[in-house]
Amino acid sequence: MNLQTRIENNVTVLTVSGRLDTVTAPEYEKNIREMISGGNIKFVVDFEQLEYISSAGLRGLLVMAKLLNEKSGRMCLANVKGNVRSVFDMCGFTSVFTMKDSVSEALAVFV
Amino acid sequence: MIRIEHLSKKFGDLVVLKDINTEIKRGEIVSIIGPSGTGKSTLLRCLNLLDYPSGGSIYIDGVNILDKKADVAKIRQKMNMVFQSFNLFSHLSVMENLTIAPIRLRGMSKEAARTKALELLRLVGLAEKAENYPEELSGGQQQRVAIARCLAMEPEIILFDEPTSALDPTMVREVLSVIRRLAREGITMAIVTHEMDFARDVSNRVLYMDEGLIFEEGTPDEIFENPQKDKTRAFINRTLSFTWRILSPDYDLYAMNAEIEAFCEKQILPKKTRYNLLLLIEELLQIYAPYLGKMILDMTIAYSEKSRRLDLICESTGEKANPLDSHGLTDDLGFTIIKNLTESIDYQWHNGKNRLEFQVKNLSHEE
Repeated sequence: MNLQTRIENNVTVLTVSGRLDTVTAPEYEKNIREMISGGNIKFVVDFEQLEYISSAGLRGLLVMAKLLNEKSGRMCLANVKGNVRSVFDMCGFTSVFTMKDSVSEALAVFV
Repeated sequence: MIRIEHLSKKFGDLVVLKDINTEIKRGEIVSIIGPSGTGKSTLLRCLNLLDYPSGGSIYIDGVNILDKKADVAKIRQKMNMVFQSFNLFSHLSVMENLTIAPIRLRGMSKEAARTKALELLRLVGLAEKAENYPEELSGGQQQRVAIARCLAMEPEIILFDEPTSALDPTMVREVLSVIRRLAREGITMAIVTHEMDFARDVSNRVLYMDEGLIFEEGTPDEIFENPQKDKTRAFINRTLSFTWRILSPDYDLYAMNAEIEAFCEKQILPKKTRYNLLLLIEELLQIYAPYLGKMILDMTIAYSEKSRRLDLICESTGEKANPLDSHGLTDDLGFTIIKNLTESIDYQWHNGKNRLEFQVKNLSHEE
């Protein structure tokens, strides 16, 4: 897994690539906790380059949502597609998270 | 006609036949099937003493042929063998190949032997090749000559040792149709073969050999439609499997994934199926996580080329308990994914192990 961040219009765009699984989810959570405690509370999580997600990755997203909720923050997912989308569908996560087809559409949620 | 009791055969330290017990009755057609190296050909070779058994007894019409007083030459005349590689005499014509043994061993006149040989060559559809030499014939034709040569000795039983294994697929049919014809005429036959459809059609009884034993035997319907043992089932369904053993909680998920992907690639499984299989395995490993290190977990992927069925079998040591019922996960996400990826889930306490069997959804038509 690789994480890349950039700030656009005061929103942190977090690009996740590779795998979000049992092995990488703890690292994802650690990074998220650091970013949120550092004051970032608006996130677009871009899954354009995410190849694989398991329930461990979904739990990482739930932790992120919970931490943001505590700080009155928000998150929006972008480019959830293919096999990753199937896992979201199986677990009913498409109704749990705000999801958009592109980063620009996701950024518009925060305007 | 033939009764085999506790037959064994060793080559040095290598035990090829452990304890073979069976009977072949007059007029019966028995097919012997099983993976390579399980002793099928050795069993045939022991029957006509081309390989001498290490132990046990073989009775032919009540006479134990392993008895030192037994007349081996006479016994051999009762049975004849068709080999995988034809074994024709290359320096003799087809006619000479068929007449040499009846003339020399049975004292038949040259004239009578030729008449009989022509009759047999007509039976296998090769009368016009009587004066040709083996090298002038195709593999299928050579094997048909070998069958005719075998019949020339008027054996009471014919042993076929993989008669089509050395042939091009186009020639297999012509040889099998000759054997089918002999079957209709009521000749007793024992046939070692990898041609499953043929074994199913032609036999009265099928022996499945594995581990140097007759692992399972029955009618073709019993063996091909409803095999009782896992190994027979796997063989009949042409199931290929891959097992990964997990002994510690620090297992290498990515090394395991790489091997699973290689297995899937070899079976040409679609990418989506590979993804789902890896996901299913990861979710299961999370369920097993609290117990890893305290037990041995074997995860086996089994894919049937015939039915395209993909199964994942998890066998774990420890006390009898379904890991799916007793998992310590804080949510149902993993279990939801597992249910979505599988057609069926079956738990059994089997041979002192907890066995969970998942039929993975078949996605082979999606890509």
